[in-house]
Amino acid sequence: MTGESNRGTFLVVCAVVASLALVGAYLAAGGSSYTPAKTQNPCKPRPWRSPEGLEQIAQQFSLSALDGAACELGVSRETLARALATPESRERFTERYEISDAELARAIRAGLLRAVDDAERAGALSPLLAGPLRATLRQIPLDQAIELINNAQSLLDNLQGFLGPAQGLLEQLLP
Amino acid sequence: MSAPRPRLTALAVAVGLVLADSSIVVLALPEIYRDLDTSVAGVTWVLVSFNLVMALAAVPAAHLARRIGPGRAAAIGLAVFAGAGLACGLSDELSTLIAARCVQALGGAAAVTAVLELLPATVGSERRAVAIWATAGATGAALGPAVGGLLTELVSWQSIFLIQAPLAIAAGIPVLAVARHEAATGIVATELRETGRPHLLANLALALVSAAIAAALFLLVLLLIEGWRLSPIGAAIVVSAMPLAALLGARLGPAAGSARARAAAGAILVAGGLGGLALLPKAEVVLTLPPQLLVGVGLALVLSALTETALAGRAPQAIHGGWTISARHAGVAIGLIALTPLFTADIAQQREDAIDAGTAVVLDSRVAPLLKLELAQRIEDRLEGERGKVPTIGPAFEPLPEDPGDRADTILLREELQDQLDRGATHAFSPSFGLGALIGLLALIPIGLARRVDL
Repeated sequence: MTGESNRGTFLVVCAVVASLALVGAYLAAGGSSYTPAKTQNPCKPRPWRSPEGLEQIAQQFSLSALDGAACELGVSRETLARALATPESRERFTERYEISDAELARAIRAGLLRAVDDAERAGALSPLLAGPLRATLRQIPLDQAIELINNAQSLLDNLQGFLGPAQGLLEQLLP
Repeated sequence: MSAPRPRLTALAVAVGLVLADSSIVVLALPEIYRDLDTSVAGVTWVLVSFNLVMALAAVPAAHLARRIGPGRAAAIGLAVFAGAGLACGLSDELSTLIAARCVQALGGAAAVTAVLELLPATVGSERRAVAIWATAGATGAALGPAVGGLLTELVSWQSIFLIQAPLAIAAGIPVLAVARHEAATGIVATELRETGRPHLLANLALALVSAAIAAALFLLVLLLIEGWRLSPIGAAIVVSAMPLAALLGARLGPAAGSARARAAAGAILVAGGLGGLALLPKAEVVLTLPPQLLVGVGLALVLSALTETALAGRAPQAIHGGWTISARHAGVAIGLIALTPLFTADIAQQREDAIDAGTAVVLDSRVAPLLKLELAQRIEDRLEGERGKVPTIGPAFEPLPEDPGDRADTILLREELQDQLDRGATHAFSPSFGLGALIGLLALIPIGLARRVDL
């Protein structure tokens, strides 16, 4: 009986050791942190990564605008980005979150204005250009506003075309 | 009457076949879901209904076996099981499939409890009979998902049920000789003495441990197929590690220690294995093998030890065996009913989180803006196409850009995005595996409280 008791104790100890070893090894290998990356609160300012050239500025501008609009709507930047990918995804989004087109337009304009503020603060946009840009953005319709978020470079290209002879000046305004 | 050896094999096959049915459809559930155009909650009842009816019918079926004779009860039970299996395989609606599963469980309950009355006469020892009965049941339950997955992929989900009919009939042939003997002589070869009430603590521990094992099998299969996108046959190969480990555990046998020690060690191993599954550090199949090894060895130790304990010194064996069957299947059913809503809510949330994290990767990537926009549209299309599931994201990146720089950035982006989706899918199962581990550990309370569990 003592032999059986010893064997039983040994078996239980082996089970405890094996279980703890497995759990410990998986914890040490990062088992508790193997989760999707957390998305950032869109209402918190996101630092601009020293943009260089028109394309980089356009990218940062779009991301800032997405953050601003998402903050207004109370959704994540990522959810809004997917929503604006196609007209169908936009329709699904407005239905799911019960948002009217007018509310969406307001939010996107607010986002674009925040992007102008962020660009100005980051030194990527001159105050001389920021003022007229804000005035323009307050008036544009929803579809164009979405197009601007999706392809901010077109906005900057248009600005370039609009300024025409003052292209040299624009090069100075956009570092 | 037939020779003991073929009869012993037939009786063990009968027990393994019936108890495999509590888990055999796990890998077929996605196929049944699509084929019968039903809901996730509805298709879960294909599994739950069988276990619930087994839990409710096992003890009454054991009483029936004592009244009409175990030979006749086993023969009738196996015939009903085979017939209902055919009905399951021919079902084209969820309601008829669930109804047939309930009938199948009734036949199964009669067969399994009656076999326990027949085994001692076949092997010459009550203790050995109980050990064979428990091992056959544990092996069947562990093998179920792997066999079901293979059949689903190689043939169809219907074949899982259709193949059971000839097997049940083959297992019933040696039993018919006993039934004929009972009918001819009027002698019912059952134990007449009645000793002891059902072993409450052993049966409670059996229920808890069965709920934990059901969680391990059910959730692991879903993780592999729905989360990591393995085919049913691939998942079947992976989860076959568990029954192989169970065979290893079964070899330890009574020599490894007292029944209480084996039960405690088994419950700890099951909980440890589930703890490992809750903490998977990467979405890699090979990492599921050590936890499966622990669960497999653990289930063999704990199920056989607790079954022996519940039956030790008690008569009639069929009635007390019925209680163990009832406890095991009630545990499986309760485990599934309790874990399904938790798991469903978790996977929905984790899918959203993973998709958000993946979108963040795309937005913050170095890929050119217009390519980024195009990719976002393709990814959105894939998400919409696989609504409710973790999507396979690779095709959204095809064809790759021709520019070498864009190509390298896109490949990197695809890998990062897939990593986020894998993280989400794997993490979605963690709370449910963790709860399963906790339930396994809870079984230690009745095991510890049982004073007279040593055989």
